[in-house]
Amino acid sequence: MTFMLTCPICGRRELHEFLCGGQERGPRPPQEGLSAEAHFRYAQFRSIPPAPQPEWWYHGQGCGVWFKATRNPATNREERPGG
Amino acid sequence: MAMLRDYLRPTRLWAPAPIKPHYQVVIIGGGIHGLATAYFLAKTHGIRDVAVLERHYIGFGGSGRNTAIVRANQRTAASVRLYDEGLKLWPVLVDELDFNLMFFNSGNLNLAHSEAAVAAFRMAIGTANFLGIRSELLDPLQCRELIPALDISDRPEHPIQAGMYHPPGGTLRHDAVVWALAKGAAAHGVHIHQGVEVTGIDTDGGRVTGVQTNRGALQCRQLGIMAGGYGTALCTLIGLELPVHPLTIQAMVTQPLKPFLNHVVSSGAYHVYATQTLKGEIATGAHMDPQVNYTTDPTARYFKHQAEALTDFMPVLKDVKFMRTWAGLADMTPDMAPIMDANVGFDGLYLDVGWGYFGFKAGPIAGKYLAEMIARDQIPEIISPFGLGRFLENRYAGETAGAMKYGHWDS
Ligand SMILES: Cc1cc2nc3c(=O)[nH]c(=O)nc-3n(C[C@H](O)[C@H](O)[C@H](O)COP(=O)(O)OP(=O)(O)OC[C@H]3O[C@@H](n4cnc5c(N)ncnc54)[C@H](O)[C@@H]3O)c2cc1C
Ligand SMILES: [Zn+2]
Repeated sequence: MTFMLTCPICGRRELHEFLCGGQERGPRPPQEGLSAEAHFRYAQFRSIPPAPQPEWWYHGQGCGVWFKATRNPATNREERPGG
Repeated sequence: MAMLRDYLRPTRLWAPAPIKPHYQVVIIGGGIHGLATAYFLAKTHGIRDVAVLERHYIGFGGSGRNTAIVRANQRTAASVRLYDEGLKLWPVLVDELDFNLMFFNSGNLNLAHSEAAVAAFRMAIGTANFLGIRSELLDPLQCRELIPALDISDRPEHPIQAGMYHPPGGTLRHDAVVWALAKGAAAHGVHIHQGVEVTGIDTDGGRVTGVQTNRGALQCRQLGIMAGGYGTALCTLIGLELPVHPLTIQAMVTQPLKPFLNHVVSSGAYHVYATQTLKGEIATGAHMDPQVNYTTDPTARYFKHQAEALTDFMPVLKDVKFMRTWAGLADMTPDMAPIMDANVGFDGLYLDVGWGYFGFKAGPIAGKYLAEMIARDQIPEIISPFGLGRFLENRYAGETAGAMKYGHWDS
């Protein structure tokens, strides 16, 4: 399915101009004293509820910016402030 | 004496059962994995106090949407052992369930278009042969002997360099498998509840105690999450994170044609696989949407890719029309192998998830061992390589090095 995604620079564009960078996970845990388990949890383990989640997207076939957007995996649509 | 009209009267495959407030085992998901597990629990282990909860209808998930390809030529020995047993189970099930599963033992031909792909074939063939499974390397002429429609010249964008031929594989009728397992499970006393959606999982002191549903609460001593691509969503109900991405994956069929494709044909470089169904349609699938999602909405532009890829190495398909398309979920793990585990996070919680686009072929065999796992509360040896813990111990299963990769799922 396709949908429109809002690039902060170019505005609403078609999905296939973008690459999905995955769920926003917060900052990388500090390397100092990081256990292998904590590293693998950060790198691979996810919670994916059928509800809006913040994500990273890359406008590869547009202006080339990385940005955050909110999308709902239950509807596969961007959630835009104000609808 | 049975009269003709007795045979013609419509009969039900199983009778509806009342929802009981308590079951020994509750299984979430009425796909082949959940139904097979329930079937073997009741039949092999005598555990009949089992309910399968399905929020839509049985077979709504991947089990009713897949392209039904079966094979046992994976990359790693751990996978091959399990899938090989799974392959040998189909004819047994046809007898045991008294149901025509339409097992078509066509054999699978995978095409290589690069030296790297030929090397991957050699590794997979070595593993298969070591385990006593038929799999062989063919040159392009031998490939064309199997499938005369293949263009083995230098014209295609990716000329065919070799083939990996695996005679034991083929296809089945996926809906028949769902119906037969439901019929068999119900005949052994399992309750199959359709239209029952699990909305919460109850726990007490580190143990699973039951589920909340749209039809009220149900208690259980053991709970199986066998919900295919929806397993990740269910696990969020108990705060369990998984290394699994649920992605929408698409398939489509052409108009029916005279029989010309007698084998499953697939190509990693073209990101495509195809079979000719018994109705004559070319069934082909490949693409996954890159972003996680739980919808089953198809994507229009994938038609174009399938058409370009298929007609490039099988030019006879030019001008043939696609008739319909659909999509389901593929729950992808980082090593492209599934997760089967017991007492995950909570005692009494059994997990079966991450089957990606390979879970049809393993449905009944997974169910057999998942049932043993639940009945004995112990992980059977053959499925022990597939525990969740491997992802925390850097012991990935290594299936990403296999030849059968049809998507961008390389990470
Ligand atoms: C297009 C496509 C092609 C494929 N091709 C192949 C192939 O050729 N070969 C192969 O081996 N595999 C293939 N697969 C993969 C295969 O279909 C799946 O791995 C397999 O069907 C998984 O079976 P399952 O029983 O685990 O899950 P499913 O069949 O997905 O069943 C899960 C069930 O759980 C139910 N459920 C979900 N949430 C809840 C809830 N909260 N409460 C109650 N019920 C719930 C769903 O409604 C669903 O019916 C393909 C998949 C797709 C989508
Ligand atoms: Zn932009």
